[in-house]
Amino acid sequence: MFNADVLTRAAIALAISLGCLGVYLFYNWTLEFRTRHLLADLDPKPPDAFTLVYFTTPTCVPCKTVQRPAIQKLRQMLGTALHVVEIDATERPDLADRWGVMSVPTTFLIDPRGKLRHVNHGVARAEKLLMQIHGG
Amino acid sequence: MTTQTQNLQKVDHNALKANQLTIITINLLAFIFNFPILAAIVAVVMGLGSLLKVPGFLPLYRYFYKPLGLLKPDVLDDNPEPHRFAQFLGFIFMTGGSVALFLGASALGWGLVWLVIVLAALNAFGGFCVGCAVYYWLVRLNVPGFAKIPPAGFFPGMKPKARV
Repeated sequence: MFNADVLTRAAIALAISLGCLGVYLFYNWTLEFRTRHLLADLDPKPPDAFTLVYFTTPTCVPCKTVQRPAIQKLRQMLGTALHVVEIDATERPDLADRWGVMSVPTTFLIDPRGKLRHVNHGVARAEKLLMQIHGG
Repeated sequence: MTTQTQNLQKVDHNALKANQLTIITINLLAFIFNFPILAAIVAVVMGLGSLLKVPGFLPLYRYFYKPLGLLKPDVLDDNPEPHRFAQFLGFIFMTGGSVALFLGASALGWGLVWLVIVLAALNAFGGFCVGCAVYYWLVRLNVPGFAKIPPAGFFPGMKPKARV
């Protein structure tokens, strides 16, 4: 059953899958690269603080019911170690466009050195954000 | 001129995901073991799903994925029409691929099958439905029969995450 032809085809399937994964990782890398140059968009942040860039809109229900409370909880826990920048995508569509935001909520976690650590498309709960901050 | 509307309905996105995962799995098996008949079966199921306006592999979701706890309902406010259109597009590609394979045009046939695999994977793992994006693009072009606009605040084709 597992003859050479099957193994060759399995190898091709694996190669294509890895290629797709590579494209995905490259997309994330370009997002990171692009974001590196976008930090100038933000207010000056306190030194040694993580920055959470949070894109929302006034009509976004999960932003109000889940994402904002999660960020507030995180702020209480981390204090000045977390700098939050909230951006209304309807007021600043230029920023949403430059940051590649396609849906809200979207959060970008940037470490104190200005390196993008994580992008969360959709709701990211406090526990998840905390894990991303501590986990690297 | 078509009237564009936003009348969102409850759509279980994990029923769609189950459909996509099954399509990916069967198509991969078809390719690896060189069984074009499996690709043809996927085409037929997607065609039936399009006809009945449900995800083709919905019974698998109801009687396999859900009872085993592999997937739980993920009901979001969304338009079902673009997802049906995406499945119909998949059906067209799969039918073309299957016919090509049975006629001996392996490269074209497997190329179309792989196109469906990649698009289904993009939807299942990346949350982006290319067929839905095409649907919304046709709406913008005022093509008759295409009337639904994307949920507010979401890029056309992106899964409306965590909307409650």
